[in-house]
Amino acid sequence: MVGVSHLQILPSPARRVTSDEACLETFQKELDYVYRTLRRLGTSSSEVEDLAQEVFLALRRSWGEYDPDRPIRPYLFGIAFRIAAAHQRKRNREVAFGNVEPGDSGPWPDEALQSKQTRAMVLAALERIPLPRRAVLVMHDLDDVSVAEVASVLAIPLFTAYSRLRKARRELEAAVRRMLRERETDVR
Amino acid sequence: MTRSRETLSPEVRALLDAERDIPVQPDTVRARAIARARAAIEAGPAAPPVPARSSRVALTMRWAAAIALGCLASAAVAAMTYGVSAHFARQNATLTTPPAPAIATPKAPAPAAAATPSPIDETPPSRPRVIPPPRLSPADAIRAELILLRPARAAVARENFAAALPPIAEHARRFKGGRLAEEREALRVKALVGLGRADEARRAAAAFRAHFPHSVLLPAVGQMASTGG
Repeated sequence: MVGVSHLQILPSPARRVTSDEACLETFQKELDYVYRTLRRLGTSSSEVEDLAQEVFLALRRSWGEYDPDRPIRPYLFGIAFRIAAAHQRKRNREVAFGNVEPGDSGPWPDEALQSKQTRAMVLAALERIPLPRRAVLVMHDLDDVSVAEVASVLAIPLFTAYSRLRKARRELEAAVRRMLRERETDVR
Repeated sequence: MTRSRETLSPEVRALLDAERDIPVQPDTVRARAIARARAAIEAGPAAPPVPARSSRVALTMRWAAAIALGCLASAAVAAMTYGVSAHFARQNATLTTPPAPAIATPKAPAPAAAATPSPIDETPPSRPRVIPPPRLSPADAIRAELILLRPARAAVARENFAAALPPIAEHARRFKGGRLAEEREALRVKALVGLGRADEARRAAAAFRAHFPHSVLLPAVGQMASTGG
């Protein structure tokens, strides 16, 4: 009979290191996605590094719960959303000070500049949508995640996900229209 | 998959399409993020996952109830002890001291004066108990370091270099050899360069090179110091 020591049941340090390495590798691979998601969820560029780090810490903590057969991005989005929401609540409690974004340095080619401006406009328009609705819109309309999956990741009923999406789109339309009007007024 | 985007206008759809591609982060940002993540791994095992919201709320409420009960109980005990001893003290006083004569006795010191201890009071004042700072788990420590350095990085990003130095100093005081010491010292160099304190920046850069010869931030630090100098 083969004796099974209770120590065999415990995860060995080597296994932990492996899982940590796997987690780090995933984080490294999805770093750009994490950064962009946090930006889309309203994190300022000066805070995005710290929050991305918090996403990594949370990912590492919950790595054992992640099912590798499922796509990682919705899972990461769920973590990023919770961290961004907690950060927003904290920021709202603190004394507000101007959220100054560092200026861009160096010349930009026309095309890059235009693309940058467009992206900035999308972020600004998204900023006008409350975070719970914005998360649904970003996940579905930018990350191409099905509404059912969105509902599951954000732990909301399917009906709520649909109604948030509908409302968020209306808000996005209104925000873009307002911004375009403002831009036209500035040009004149 | 249901992709009902027909409710979006063509302009908004075009905007969303432009935002769909994910921009690639610069190498320095990437290197810093990975270095930090590695530092967190080296700091030790991750804390267990946070319990679900409902159980967390329940746990918090249980703790709050326990603390409130504890406070109530100790307040009741203190009140009873104080009340009983004060009652006995009053009783003893009335039993042992004769009633004060109506005339010609020197006035007793005012109660307020009696309450203040005299300089030759034999009972030494009790020394305040020094409560040691709570020992942080490695995961909590790195989180605390992150929080501490956050304003420094934000200040450097806003080019408000003077505001970056106090959190850097505070981090150096609390986490001298912390996991984010490397990043802190890089921020210090950048802040000093930004403030035009070239000599200090060069010294800080030299110290950085000596302490972190294999740092991924070394080229950036060297470049900052040479630009500022």
